[in-house]
Amino acid sequence: MRTYLLKRLLQIIPTVLGITFVVFVMMRSIPGDPVVALLGDAYTEENAIKARHDYGLDKPILVQYVIWLGKLVQGDWGTSILSGRPVLKDVMVRLPVTLELIFLSMAVALAIAIPAAIIGALRQNTWADYTATSVAMVGVSIPEFFLGVLLLLAFSIGLGGMLPSSGWVYLPGTCQTVVCAASLWGNTQHVLMPALALGVGRAALLTRLLRASMLEVIRTEYVTTARAKGLSERPVILKHALKNALIPTVTVMGLQVGFLIGGAIVVETLFAMPGLGTFGIDAIIARDYQQVQGFALITAFAFVVINLIVDLTYTFLDPRIRYT
Amino acid sequence: MTDDREPRARHPRTISGGSLQEADLPAAPDVAWRAGDRSEAPLAQGLRRLRKSTTALIGAVIVGVLLVVALFADVLAPQSPIASDQTHTFERPSRDYPLGTDQLGRDMLSRVIHGSRISLAVGVSSVLLALFVGVPFGMIAGYYGGRIDSVIMRAMDLILAFPIYLLAIILMVIFAPTAGLIGTIKVTGAIAIVRIPIYARLVRGSVLSIKEKEYIEACRALGVRDPWILMRHVLPNCLAPIIVTTTLGIATSIIVEATLSFLGLGTQPPTPSWGWDLKANVAFIQSNPWISLFPGIAIFVTVLGFNLFGDGLRDALDPRLK
Amino acid sequence: MRSMRLLLGLLLGTGVLLGAAGAAPTEAQTPKRGGTLRVSYGNEIANLDFHTAPGYEMMWVAMNVGCGLVNITPDGKFVGDAAESWQVSPDGLLYTFKLKKNVLFHDGMKVDAAAVKFSIDRLMDPATGSGMRTFYESVNSVEAVDPLTVQIRLKHPYAFMLHMLAGYRTGLIIYSPTATQKFSLDDRKQGKPGAVVGCGPFKLIEWVKGSHLVMDRFEKYFEPGLPYLDRVIIRVIKDPVTEMAAFKNGEVDFIASFSPEHVDTMKAQSPRAQIMTGKETTPMLAAMKVTIPKDGKPMSKDRAPHPIFSDIRVRKAVGCYGIDRKEIVKIAFKGQATPWVGIIPPGTMDTVDVNHLCPYDQAKAKALLAEVGYGPQKPLTFELMTNTEKTVFNVIATVIKEQMARIGVTANIRLVDKVTWMAAANQDGPWDMYVEDLLSLLTLDSNAFLSTTGASWNHTRHLDTKVDDYYARYAREMDPIKRKAIAKEFQEFSADKLYWNAISGSPFYMVAQPWVKGYVYNAEFEVHWDKVWLDK
Repeated sequence: MRTYLLKRLLQIIPTVLGITFVVFVMMRSIPGDPVVALLGDAYTEENAIKARHDYGLDKPILVQYVIWLGKLVQGDWGTSILSGRPVLKDVMVRLPVTLELIFLSMAVALAIAIPAAIIGALRQNTWADYTATSVAMVGVSIPEFFLGVLLLLAFSIGLGGMLPSSGWVYLPGTCQTVVCAASLWGNTQHVLMPALALGVGRAALLTRLLRASMLEVIRTEYVTTARAKGLSERPVILKHALKNALIPTVTVMGLQVGFLIGGAIVVETLFAMPGLGTFGIDAIIARDYQQVQGFALITAFAFVVINLIVDLTYTFLDPRIRYT
Repeated sequence: MTDDREPRARHPRTISGGSLQEADLPAAPDVAWRAGDRSEAPLAQGLRRLRKSTTALIGAVIVGVLLVVALFADVLAPQSPIASDQTHTFERPSRDYPLGTDQLGRDMLSRVIHGSRISLAVGVSSVLLALFVGVPFGMIAGYYGGRIDSVIMRAMDLILAFPIYLLAIILMVIFAPTAGLIGTIKVTGAIAIVRIPIYARLVRGSVLSIKEKEYIEACRALGVRDPWILMRHVLPNCLAPIIVTTTLGIATSIIVEATLSFLGLGTQPPTPSWGWDLKANVAFIQSNPWISLFPGIAIFVTVLGFNLFGDGLRDALDPRLK
Repeated sequence: MRSMRLLLGLLLGTGVLLGAAGAAPTEAQTPKRGGTLRVSYGNEIANLDFHTAPGYEMMWVAMNVGCGLVNITPDGKFVGDAAESWQVSPDGLLYTFKLKKNVLFHDGMKVDAAAVKFSIDRLMDPATGSGMRTFYESVNSVEAVDPLTVQIRLKHPYAFMLHMLAGYRTGLIIYSPTATQKFSLDDRKQGKPGAVVGCGPFKLIEWVKGSHLVMDRFEKYFEPGLPYLDRVIIRVIKDPVTEMAAFKNGEVDFIASFSPEHVDTMKAQSPRAQIMTGKETTPMLAAMKVTIPKDGKPMSKDRAPHPIFSDIRVRKAVGCYGIDRKEIVKIAFKGQATPWVGIIPPGTMDTVDVNHLCPYDQAKAKALLAEVGYGPQKPLTFELMTNTEKTVFNVIATVIKEQMARIGVTANIRLVDKVTWMAAANQDGPWDMYVEDLLSLLTLDSNAFLSTTGASWNHTRHLDTKVDDYYARYAREMDPIKRKAIAKEFQEFSADKLYWNAISGSPFYMVAQPWVKGYVYNAEFEVHWDKVWLDK
């Protein structure tokens, strides 16, 4: 187990390197470069040539990557060509926002999914099942941006402006800027709609996956065995069915992180949140190479680590799976 | 779980009865049962059961209607989906325009009807493409383990670790969006690539837990060839999550297509696509809600149809159900 | 010229003041001191090096953090900023500015003639890489005569020197020599504390990209009592629905740039909102590429004619007679814009209505195309590029596509993102026609940056040096009457040649809450929050 863990941890390095390299090369194959965005409406040919030289963009791609990597090893994530801001600093400012959003939207998803799936699985093909699964379905068939807009209409424009439409109030202690709003209540108000918009769609997937897998598990021999042993209904479902049904669910949740960061791009843009999603999309749109690299680095790292945890969770959920 | 208690007391039979009955089936997975000593092929059984399922039937009807709409859009649409009319912009739904008109004065009904083509084509084919590539990868990785597993899954991680839009966006910029069929294929390809690892990981997770089961080990001991084991014994056991993911994936793909279109990287205007229409019209939701609502409803109904159908399919294909 | 601007200014100004819920009572009120103005932007600020950064978002910060020599009012008058007074020599070659005594930079240093000289020299130095450099082409030298007197000596007369210093892009922003030398370019770009030192009413406190920009009242600002506000906070809200929700909800006091297509919704949703606009100063273009590089290398000096649009007859058929500008305005702007053929939009100085030169005439368009050889046997097909920055672009492109179909021409829309478009347009990439609105134009002269043969922004890459001659004659003519005549001649010439094909003006809107008082609307040219106060 320990060697496995060590091996997996070491594997993170090539994966993250691979991703950053692929992104590095891909970004440079896109039309336009940061200089076009940097000069913008003040673009002149001579300034463009000068800027490309100043920022080392006229060097071969591989050389540029090695330079970037060399700095990274020293803890320097580079500086945004467009804004002149250190990338690592911006990532750190935005990370808490997106982490909270993703964590809470997962919580929203699970809070809906687990009860709905249990009801669905226990009362398969009853009205309760249909209700639970259709509720889940409504969620998934509404795109995040549309649900977000509907929430805005309901809670910011309607209902006397109950919830703030945009911006962010940090959780106390997570704000790293000079001027910042931080309060628990304000944070709750600001995160509610985005977390719902992002989480509800995920709930549908999890509910249906969980329900399907639970049905599967309920029918397998060992729930039968457990029942035969005289265990009462509730512990059977909870301990065995739910636990085993969680395997594909956990896989999917791990995989959902990539989706959630993708969804965060949409939701954060809609609610004008200073998170990693807007950081990433702004960077791509402006061809801000260094910032895109930072975004790729942090999301790749987060993804690999989370999925390592997922793989390890298997062994906990199903002791028959062993890694060597 | 506490809320469970009361209803359970009220309907004790439905729940425990139903469950117990299923659990009592003599068909707990075992080699003989799996090897198929029945007269009827599993697929035929499945189809027979599929016909009986109401949900599947509803789903199939919806999907069927959608297919018909997509195929005969030219006949069904009352007007051209791209012809604008400056004298009838932002019309409310009326007899002439049952679903109203958009900013360009285009008939929304015709756009919704024609939009089914792009949305269905991209939504379904991208998911199927991903499925046919991703599932074998996942099975092989999970079943053989070791180095093969490492290589495949690291490659999958590489793709997956890109947030979905980032990869799709970059891919589409590289592919360069174009109008027409080629453009649609490009969008489909970009979305499919993004979805491949989802299947791979999902299937691998299930395979990991299945391959330890006695009957698989027994198969191996009996010298059954690996491809046979994978196809006949491992795959059917992964079907439930695969089908659920697929039917839901169609929804995601339609939405990704919408987002790509809106970023200028998907369907090129004025070609109608639900995703594009929803995204482009949602900005007018306060003044003209219907123009975004109808494409939204179209997406909703489509996704609903596929999900119901998928549900029925799952139940039907499950060999342990009768 | 003065009277023209005055007239224009009245048009602009009245709109604003009426919007401000009754001009007279507002003026009578005594401004209240204090409070925070919450501004929303639709786009992110690029960076804070005012001399090199692009975008209005940066400019509007620069105008409040920085100060210059002069500002321009909506009616075209110049008012002193750091300059107390100024004089122009009779030959138009020497500008002498007397500076106010009490102007301080935010770091406490005095704004003197040396600082002005330093700033202009810096803008003119190619090493700075400023996009403003071309505007100073006529400047020979800048001299600090004494600490409060600075002289700008020109190589040749330049009638728009003051316009340029006041309102071309940011106008002149005076940089502190000490701070500029002390900090690096990256420090300034990112707004590191102490690096962005201006002499304007607000001092920069913090910029966190993607989150907020904060500027506080500069207590030693040279205008006594100003600014009224304690603080201005700028946030970026990209989605128009969210922006309207934030406004309705009172989370935002001032929307710096509002999409024209949602003005009706805004009015319905917030009836008391002050909606400010004026005659358009930004052109909406359907530009057609005239030449392409012969050797295929972008920006090559060796030019070949564009296979389709190098032929003036095709340009005229498609761009002049083939486009129904009224229909486009009706659909894309709900009629809230002016159909316009001229090279400069209806709100720009010395503009002339030349719409009669390009009436919508399908028969004429078809005839011209047939003359070139296009027709049912050989249909004309071209690519219509546009970008996703504003939704109105693809709406216009879609309408043009349909109008082209009416004259038997196929236009294939290619929708790209903004930077792809910029790369293609600025770097001589392959495109046939694009739809975009470019920059807000204060004068016809400022359009030289976008359309002379040598300009990077000469996207169509036309080679006609007559255009350059017109601009040069116009800019060097000191007599406003004669200048007007040149402007008229040039705009007719331009409508005839269509190196630059306008469709309409592109409207600009600002929206403020009813409690925001004292803001003077002057399009994108002058955005100042120093006299703004909050009545709540």
